Amino acid sequence: MTISWRKSDEEKIAAVHLPLGHAGYSATCRLQERLHTLRCRGEICDTVLSVEHEPSFTIGRSGSTADIIVPQDLLQHAGITVHKVDRGGEITYHGPGQLVIYPIVDLRDHGRDLKRYISNLEQGVINLLDRFAISADRRPGFPGVWVDSRKIAAIGVYIKHWVTRHGLALNINVDKTHFAMINPCGLDVETVSLEDLADRCPSMGEIAAALLAELGSLFHWRISTGNPAEHWDDKAV
Amino acid sequence: MNRTDERTAQCEVRLPDLGEVNKVTIVAWLKKEGEMLAAGEDLLEVETEKTTFVIDAPKAGKLLRIAKQEGERVRLDDLLAEIG
Repeated sequence: MTISWRKSDEEKIAAVHLPLGHAGYSATCRLQERLHTLRCRGEICDTVLSVEHEPSFTIGRSGSTADIIVPQDLLQHAGITVHKVDRGGEITYHGPGQLVIYPIVDLRDHGRDLKRYISNLEQGVINLLDRFAISADRRPGFPGVWVDSRKIAAIGVYIKHWVTRHGLALNINVDKTHFAMINPCGLDVETVSLEDLADRCPSMGEIAAALLAELGSLFHWRISTGNPAEHWDDKAV
Repeated sequence: MNRTDERTAQCEVRLPDLGEVNKVTIVAWLKKEGEMLAAGEDLLEVETEKTTFVIDAPKAGKLLRIAKQEGERVRLDDLLAEIG
């Protein structure tokens, strides 16, 4: 008998990747909510959205507008919108040059372990960065992925009926002047982009495909690519 | 993790096993004491590891008592509420 640590395709869990390209933050939240309801009912399989947003600050359950450290008119001038959201965590930034991943995952199929879920998201990013010879790690007590003392990926999740929404944001080549307008995660931390650390900066599509492959390996997914157009009710911000 | 007393049909809502997490904090009660609940209705949100986790009502009934307040830290199996 051959013993293999790899799961066969039959043993893997079906998952669909929906590459949304560029999409508004609010519309993507509504899409997540619809998919979450369908996943809770078992009408769809695990579904992973990848997306790049317009400049937005999002404030999680533990966050506050006090973590925006510039006047309101500066935000308007920069075209940055602010959204209060139901994920965990504090304030973070989304915008062009950042790959955002929203897994709609039923954790009842993945061991009902919130810590392991977060750890797998982090590990997916760590493995991806390793492909670019970037050594990244966790910081105990501070979920996310770090390169030395600089944060390269943020995590914020919402779970109801053991099904997840929201997810992770990986900086590829973000506008740092936008990050400088907030205290990310309520901390005075420096952020970093993949572009700052890698010899070459691959396309967003290439990075998304590689990250999906890493996450697929960790979550034992058999991933197919879906058509986002079949899921949008509207794409307006 | 939730216990029901068959004689009184009262039900205790306790913090479920979320895995190896620590520092679980109650961020919001979504119902008030005295309110009627449907089974499966959202009852409260806890937060840990940058994650909001929604705990729902295990049975229909009245929210008799909230045992832990917003901002309090809770541990596995701690009593959170009673439904009757």
